[in-house]
Amino acid sequence: MGKIISESVQKEAAEVIVNSISSLEGVEAEVVERSSGTNPRNVIVANPSPDSWRALAEMLYSDHAIDYCSMITGIHWPERDDDRKWEVVYHLLRTGVRDPPSEDGVVQPIIVNPSTVRGFGTPVEIEVHVHLPDSRTPSIDSVQDIWVGADWNEKETWDLVGIDFDGHKGMRRVLLPHETPRGYHPLQKQHNLRYHGFEEMYDDSQGFMRKPDDVGKIK
Amino acid sequence: MAEMWISMGPQHPMTHGLWTLKVKVDGETVVDTEPDLGYIHRGVEKICESRDFTQITTYCDRLCYASANTWSHAYIYAAEDLLEVEVPERAEYIRLIAVEIQRIASHLMWLGAYGPDIGNLSIMVWCLREREMMMDLLQELGGSRMHYNFPRVGGVKRDLPYGFAQRARAKLKLFLNRIQEYEALYDESTIFLVRSQGVGYAKPEEMVNHGVSGPNLRAGGVNYDIRWAHPYSVYSELDWAPPVERSSIKGADCYDRYRVRVEEMRVSASMALQALDKIPGGADTHYEPEDPMILAKAPSRAPEGTSGAHHFEDSRGESMFYIAGGGEGRGKQPYRVSIRSPIFITIPFAAKCMIGYKVADIPAIMGSFDPCIGETDR
Repeated sequence: MGKIISESVQKEAAEVIVNSISSLEGVEAEVVERSSGTNPRNVIVANPSPDSWRALAEMLYSDHAIDYCSMITGIHWPERDDDRKWEVVYHLLRTGVRDPPSEDGVVQPIIVNPSTVRGFGTPVEIEVHVHLPDSRTPSIDSVQDIWVGADWNEKETWDLVGIDFDGHKGMRRVLLPHETPRGYHPLQKQHNLRYHGFEEMYDDSQGFMRKPDDVGKIK
Repeated sequence: MAEMWISMGPQHPMTHGLWTLKVKVDGETVVDTEPDLGYIHRGVEKICESRDFTQITTYCDRLCYASANTWSHAYIYAAEDLLEVEVPERAEYIRLIAVEIQRIASHLMWLGAYGPDIGNLSIMVWCLREREMMMDLLQELGGSRMHYNFPRVGGVKRDLPYGFAQRARAKLKLFLNRIQEYEALYDESTIFLVRSQGVGYAKPEEMVNHGVSGPNLRAGGVNYDIRWAHPYSVYSELDWAPPVERSSIKGADCYDRYRVRVEEMRVSASMALQALDKIPGGADTHYEPEDPMILAKAPSRAPEGTSGAHHFEDSRGESMFYIAGGGEGRGKQPYRVSIRSPIFITIPFAAKCMIGYKVADIPAIMGSFDPCIGETDR
């Protein structure tokens, strides 16, 4: 029926991007075939150095119309070599979405036919892995001004993992309470899950130093 | 007039869950907003790091109570990418049926809750009546009413029960007839039209740049959908097209977002009906659990250096999981699980959409984006 995009078109579009971004200094990229359920799909996997990430992001946005930042993941690898202790993974998509034109004041919807889509309208999937060296305060260039969708992703990554984003405006806690101590980022690997009994409900398991008002009193 | 900040939430009828919207008002006009989330942050990502791959499905169900099946399926597809499992085609059809019925149930929950938000009080009972039918169908598949824990890495937990196909066809056809009732209740309700039309405009290009996807994006007159753009499952075998709404020059308003969800329920019901007809092996046959027709063998370990990711069309937009292998017990558990919640990204955008409108428009605009705080706070 051809109601979905064909794999070969997506692969061609991915190869065009890979050839282009591989010319950037410090960027390695390849097309990786993956499978989800029964469908094969082609994903661009890029490994830029931390210094070349910003240039890569700008190139992806302006030259290849990568218009959508899906997710940013921070990972703490305490057991790896010193130059790979932290990793930031970006998942980007090209949606090819344009504002619908209007004729005589009536908007005409853009109906993309998946079987004939070509060029900059072809949806592609990009995964960017950036490895950061060992540091107590790891940081990487922010892409908040390129994709606004990265804004809250970056906030969350700093909040939970502790990777800071240089140039990010308005960094704050989003999921943890505002009074969380500085430097406490629960997805770092030195914090272990600990199970405790009901009598320890108010115990200071996470180092917040918070106690209830009635501590020590017999109820 | 002097500007001042007011706090809507954490307990407020507008919020649909536990969160705060701080609004800066100048008289009745909204001039600035700031969302404040995290009230029900449960640390699901951290918990998943100490669970086996098969145990995580349960936690993913509980990300969103209105749309549990789509979330556990989103995880399962990412886990299958990580563990490199080939899924039997019959299982893919069963999953598609489960996900599309869940999408209807989720949209019905939204439709029912959106009416009372802006003054149309009667629609709630109409929608929950049909949602009950959908939940009965899903209960037959998964065994429980809200958190089904239905998919497995490599397939599904159980085959379609005896007589399911007949009951599902009857209920979906009845439901397709009853959609007109909601349309009549909404489109002929003056208070609904007055409050939803012409507020909360959002343009497609701006929405994409802000990371907004799914029905909210399609309401702007574009047919971008993960189900055709990054194909998974067996959507290629069915006859369908994502519904698109003809919006105004200023973009999609709240009314367009309501229209696109109603149309999406029609498309989902039609897809589930087609899948029941086309399922390999027939919808009336029943295979025992763990039969190779519905469940493929899957490895239980993922070594370090492997990773799996999957973009999934959730009922609220694009959800996704990223799983890095190599955790405890030589990779028996994931090293890191990262969850993309569509509403976590949409809430800041929706809050920006309100600027310039009146305070009374806030529930109409916020509700139209279908917020679900369970998945937002994770």
